[in-house]
Amino acid sequence: MQFGATPLTPAEESLRAEVRGFLAAELPAGHRPALGFAGRYDPDFSRRLAARGWVGMAIPPEYGGHGRSAVERFVVAEELLAAGAPIGAHFVADRQTGPTLLHFGTEEQRRRFLPGIAAGEIYFSLGMSEPDSGSDLASVRTRATRVDGGWSVTGTKVWTSEAHRNHYFAVLCRTSPMEEGRKHAGLSQLIVDLRADGVTVSPIPYLDGSHHFNEVALEDVFVADDMVLGEIGSGWQQVTSELAYERSGPDRWLSTFPVLREFVREGAGKAVADDEAAVIGRLAARAWAIRGLSLSVARALDAGQVPVVEAALVKEVGTRFEQDLVEALRGAAETEVDQGTGTLFQQLLAEAVLTSPSYTLRGGTTEILRSVAAKGLA
Amino acid sequence: MSEHGTMLTEVATGLLRDRCTPEDVVAAEATGWSERLWSALAEAGFPYVSVPEEAGGSGGDVADACALLAVAGRFAAPVPLAESGLLAGWALAAAGLELPEGPASVAVGRPGDVVELSGGPGTWRLTARVQRVPWGGRSTRVVLLASVGGERYVVSAPTAVAQVLGGRNLAAEPRDTLSWDDVPLADEAVAPAPAGVDADALRLRGALGRAALISGALARVAELTVRYTGERQQFGRPVARFQAVQAHLVTIAEEAELARMAVEVAARNARPDPGSFDVAAAAAVTGEAATVAARAAHQAHGAIGMTKEYELGQLTRRLWSWRDEFGSERAWGRELGRRLAEAGADELWPRISRGLVSA
Repeated sequence: MQFGATPLTPAEESLRAEVRGFLAAELPAGHRPALGFAGRYDPDFSRRLAARGWVGMAIPPEYGGHGRSAVERFVVAEELLAAGAPIGAHFVADRQTGPTLLHFGTEEQRRRFLPGIAAGEIYFSLGMSEPDSGSDLASVRTRATRVDGGWSVTGTKVWTSEAHRNHYFAVLCRTSPMEEGRKHAGLSQLIVDLRADGVTVSPIPYLDGSHHFNEVALEDVFVADDMVLGEIGSGWQQVTSELAYERSGPDRWLSTFPVLREFVREGAGKAVADDEAAVIGRLAARAWAIRGLSLSVARALDAGQVPVVEAALVKEVGTRFEQDLVEALRGAAETEVDQGTGTLFQQLLAEAVLTSPSYTLRGGTTEILRSVAAKGLA
Repeated sequence: MSEHGTMLTEVATGLLRDRCTPEDVVAAEATGWSERLWSALAEAGFPYVSVPEEAGGSGGDVADACALLAVAGRFAAPVPLAESGLLAGWALAAAGLELPEGPASVAVGRPGDVVELSGGPGTWRLTARVQRVPWGGRSTRVVLLASVGGERYVVSAPTAVAQVLGGRNLAAEPRDTLSWDDVPLADEAVAPAPAGVDADALRLRGALGRAALISGALARVAELTVRYTGERQQFGRPVARFQAVQAHLVTIAEEAELARMAVEVAARNARPDPGSFDVAAAAAVTGEAATVAARAAHQAHGAIGMTKEYELGQLTRRLWSWRDEFGSERAWGRELGRRLAEAGADELWPRISRGLVSA
């Protein structure tokens, strides 16, 4: 295992300055920052960001993207997240579906979807979890059976974020029955239009009362052959490689950073107490060090390496940090957390308390990540 | 790491693997010092890495010195390597004073310390009492900072004429109280302190040195714990197969890597001197890493880790000491937090996102 410290190049620094300039103009002072990549959904913002070339950065120009490096994507993502920009509409398609289509999709699929993703106009959800299938993804029961010209899909997906307003989701399903001892075989990914006949999207109220989660019921949904993502039977390999892409970026350690910034802002002009200073310093120091690890993974990806263990470690430590920050600030603030009233800091703190348990669940639970990492350490 | 730093690391690792085995470290406990190891290191020029060659040092920069200290930490080397080069050697060279034969240490000025320099050229006299000087009694010289009539001075105080009251940290490394009672000093032992050579700068260098030692020790703690849990069988399988034990291994790896990253960035950004944000952040990160990883490593090892002969304890006793020396993680966190609060909310992210800076 090797995380090497890496500086940003002058070109990467100037990209960062451009993004900061854009955000300073886009987000008025005193705006309510989003917490993390799923914090706010704003298609207009996504399109304006895309117009600057900062969506679909991983997608090559021939498919409407920008062919930028992993570090350049890192720089843009960390600025957006630190500022609390509303990136929820396009983020999953950009981070995850785009690269998957690029790697495994057909030429026709790339031409059909990638330009829209890069334009900040086509949004994807993830169709993995089911009522009886969470971390043990190979146990999914949604099945697709062969019909003339395609597949007929039946099953239920849950915790499907933003399915009520996204356009498509990539459904992991069984295309052949589970065989004893080969549970990872026979799985495939199909691209399903969330408005297709037989698809029923129902809200599952989120812990904070917002509409984020959905149940998506699929009943004999027809999926044409040209919407099979990658190879029939290779769904497991594709999904696990997707999880590696999504693992270690700034979205795994910056989700609650705006809470810290607002805490500092509210203390401005007052003499900061010893306890508060100690909390601010500790959190800032840890964020600084975690950022160093996360950036070094991006640099390693650009060098053609496959830092799976490093990425798992960053996600594990980063998401725990996001939660730790919330509790440390709650302790320092000594306030009664309230959703309805209070200062911007207090409102963000309330939102963070209610939503931060998800950080160590989504994209691979802490427990699963520890298993992945521990195997690599031995 | 620079090519020079990588080579330095390799050579030092070879030397310490031979001369600083876990048995050697146990054998050195009675005195907290290994003459044999020091001689070998001195012959290779390691104690004065980062001190300019024209001042009698070995050359190299702060990053080289920290790379070397990480190796020393890994082997729990019972010698004042950080004190000689990064601290005393730097101050002596900056003031134009000679480097001593043998180890040097430093007093950074802690509450209750007294340093009184009087007289002038030809008539210098020193009365001082300084506490917890690392390897103070083993050092040839101890660097003190003094003021006379508004002028600041660097003093290279000879320990041969000092009274030494032995103290030791949790790892039995000497942390001595030294007293000089109105002793005369040669002119070669006193020089005006240049701008920048002050107690704050020494404290920064001291904290960076401890952070580097901690990062090296943590890398070794991680290796030892992976090895031991892979070998130790319970319930018919290696304990590393249990998820609860795997969680400890992951925690240790994370903390060790965070510490290493923090030290690498702080050390490589020191061109030529360590920066206050970098060092405060590195000290806060490494202090917490030492605490968290030591706890997890002992838990994963079970009772064997509680025995004095086993290598883990040599490392964890040092981690528990080094995290407090030159300022604890909480003290540095507080200092950092105060500075960030003063700079204001909108400066917070720009500062956190400034990692390693291009040379």
